[in-house]
Amino acid sequence: MTRRVFVTGMGVVSSVGLGRDAYWRSLVAGRSGTSTIRSFDASKLGRDLAAEVQGFVARDHLTDVEAKRSGRCSAFAIAAARMAVRDAGLSDAALRSERASVVLGTTMGEADVLGRLDEAWILGDADAMSARVLPKAAPYLLSAATANALGCRGAVLTLPAACAAGNYAIGYAADLIRAGRADVVITGAAELLQDLQFAGFVRLGAVSPDRCQPFDLNRRGLIVGEGAGVLVLESEEHAVRRGATALAEVGGHGLACDGFHITRPEPSGAGIIHALREAIARSGLEPADVDFVNAHGTATKANDVVESTAVRAVFGDRRVPVSSIKSMIGHCMGASSALEAVSCVETLLSDTLPPTIGYEVPDPECDIAVVANEAVRARTDVVVNHALAFGGYDAVVLFAKPGRLPAPAARGGAA
Amino acid sequence: MKPVAITAWGVVSTFGVGWDAFRAGITGEAGAAFGSAPTALPSLAGLGVRAAEVASFDPRPIVGDKGLRNNDRLTKLLLVAARLGLEAAGLKREGAFAALGADDIGVCGSTAYGSLEAIHELHTVALREDPRYLNPARFPNTVINSSVGYVSIWEELRALNATVTNGPTGALDALDAACTWIAAGRAKAVLAGGAEALSEGLWQGFRRAGAEALTLGEGACLAVLEDEAAARARGATVHAVIAGYGSAFDPGDEGTTMVRAGRGALERALRLALADAGIEASEVTLALTGRSGLASFDAAEREVIAAVLGDVPAVAPKEWIGETLGAAGAFAVAFGCAVSGAGYAVVTSLGFYGNASALVFRRAE
Repeated sequence: MTRRVFVTGMGVVSSVGLGRDAYWRSLVAGRSGTSTIRSFDASKLGRDLAAEVQGFVARDHLTDVEAKRSGRCSAFAIAAARMAVRDAGLSDAALRSERASVVLGTTMGEADVLGRLDEAWILGDADAMSARVLPKAAPYLLSAATANALGCRGAVLTLPAACAAGNYAIGYAADLIRAGRADVVITGAAELLQDLQFAGFVRLGAVSPDRCQPFDLNRRGLIVGEGAGVLVLESEEHAVRRGATALAEVGGHGLACDGFHITRPEPSGAGIIHALREAIARSGLEPADVDFVNAHGTATKANDVVESTAVRAVFGDRRVPVSSIKSMIGHCMGASSALEAVSCVETLLSDTLPPTIGYEVPDPECDIAVVANEAVRARTDVVVNHALAFGGYDAVVLFAKPGRLPAPAARGGAA
Repeated sequence: MKPVAITAWGVVSTFGVGWDAFRAGITGEAGAAFGSAPTALPSLAGLGVRAAEVASFDPRPIVGDKGLRNNDRLTKLLLVAARLGLEAAGLKREGAFAALGADDIGVCGSTAYGSLEAIHELHTVALREDPRYLNPARFPNTVINSSVGYVSIWEELRALNATVTNGPTGALDALDAACTWIAAGRAKAVLAGGAEALSEGLWQGFRRAGAEALTLGEGACLAVLEDEAAARARGATVHAVIAGYGSAFDPGDEGTTMVRAGRGALERALRLALADAGIEASEVTLALTGRSGLASFDAAEREVIAAVLGDVPAVAPKEWIGETLGAAGAFAVAFGCAVSGAGYAVVTSLGFYGNASALVFRRAE
């Protein structure tokens, strides 16, 4: 049996605001979260800007014991999850169910905890690694820590799909509900800014010295970001039974792999084209039904060209509006597509397209309709959310206004 | 679940490269692989380490020697296992596709600490020298999904590629995820399982965390999974059929430790897996347990198996191959396929943080 899957609550930790309302107000206003990095000294690297989450106090969202046991990444995840379940109005009883699961994505998980352990070992010796801190470093702790905080008793899973992790998690969570294995899944992704990872992106030549300008001719690379986006997904039956408001329906999702290069996208865009077409087809729709594309849009030369090629290949000459909110929240790696999923749902709720800020000179190689610099009001029933990642990953998730998608049985293939 | 066939195995284990070496090894004495200090990891020499390593591992005879320079040990283990699996399944011959095609074949692998070696290597450069000297070609190895990602790149596989990380249950979770994706038509075949590589960081981490009772192991174990009917239609050998899966979590309270055995979770996971397979507990002829030497975990698992399955023959693959963490669940299924016997077997696995998974499979007659 195939069920409809609804988004019924959302939580956000981001550089432009905590909670979905503050986050969305910032995006619509075109506010950038970029600032000089405070959490470590980046001065040697020649790049010192990031979209860092500032003013986040774990104790505002976590109990004392949770705060003591969590690294920054788990703390982001737990905080966003608590906001999401409150937003969904889910009772403790509904959460403490064997039918409530947690599926989260990340690229590196508790990279800061691991970094501190490693530093103690490298600069001292192995015995300098604290036995109390070691259990907090596991990359797969994110989902367990969140399930623990909420009391969920169903399956817990962490999908480390690099910068597509949010879409992988959300797609998988929806599949768990469709397969009848869960009624409620807490899903999304979390990522933190950390010195080694930042240095690695700088060494790859991917980091902009000033700002993130997706699709602009003079774009100079990405701005690293951090944060968490968490969504409550629920079966239609469960949501209706408890009288919940459906914010959006999760449509189909498409997954492909370039099989080409570990960091570079395959130039023809075949993988992302496949994933995009699959997400639309599995929703029972046609490309003509899509009203808005939330782009991966990292502002690296290669990514933006490939993504534009894919948009043109799938939508043809129809100028479907495209935007990249990475221009504001930076590239939050694993968390990016989860944070962008929250933005997609807000777009459906408000019929407002968030802008791509810093878009000044169109790039002929990115011949797409960018939502330039200011938010646009437009009736929006169906959106797609792109993610590309290290490993040649391509993942696209479709969201729609509740009631817009055909009945699950009428969708081609397995949804 | 819709039954999914295992049509081949690609295995690199402490007993060597390939299925025959694995099968020969596990018919020998348990613990035989644990005796000596690891030789392939000179950094562990003199630490009194006992581990079930893949000794004298050389990927070149299987995958050639071009392009491996920046790959870590985990990736090399996976690349070899993947090539062996694809060839054994008849999907590739001499590097070319022989059945199905690039767009039909995906990869889903589990690893618990796969990026540790690369992270430690780059941290050492950043701290001892300068972060400006980080090798950008090695940086991608620090993300958890890179080693599994390289399998698709190396073999030019274009259906989905995914990594699961969930500690010792991860490979069971990855096998199930692959079954879900096959049932949903996202791939016709998936190389699914897990891998873990020994490194000094891994060993030191477990030692400092007080888990000396574990004997760590390493290796890569990938099953080729295909829809059962489709596999039979193309004339593939069906080694076993994955029939059911369950997974659950026991939330702790503020008085419980972070690291703990989810006894209740395992019992629920096991009952879910049996129900998913549509079988009674009495139909299970073999339990492949996660027993590893961690007393509280081993006791919880023993109680659950007794309560749910009664007096069933049980074997602990980790006593042969060590605790291979993210690969353990796949090795347990492989173990069940390699030993003689027929009928339903179950694999039980406790995670470190209160989660647990179980998988039911039917062995070929």
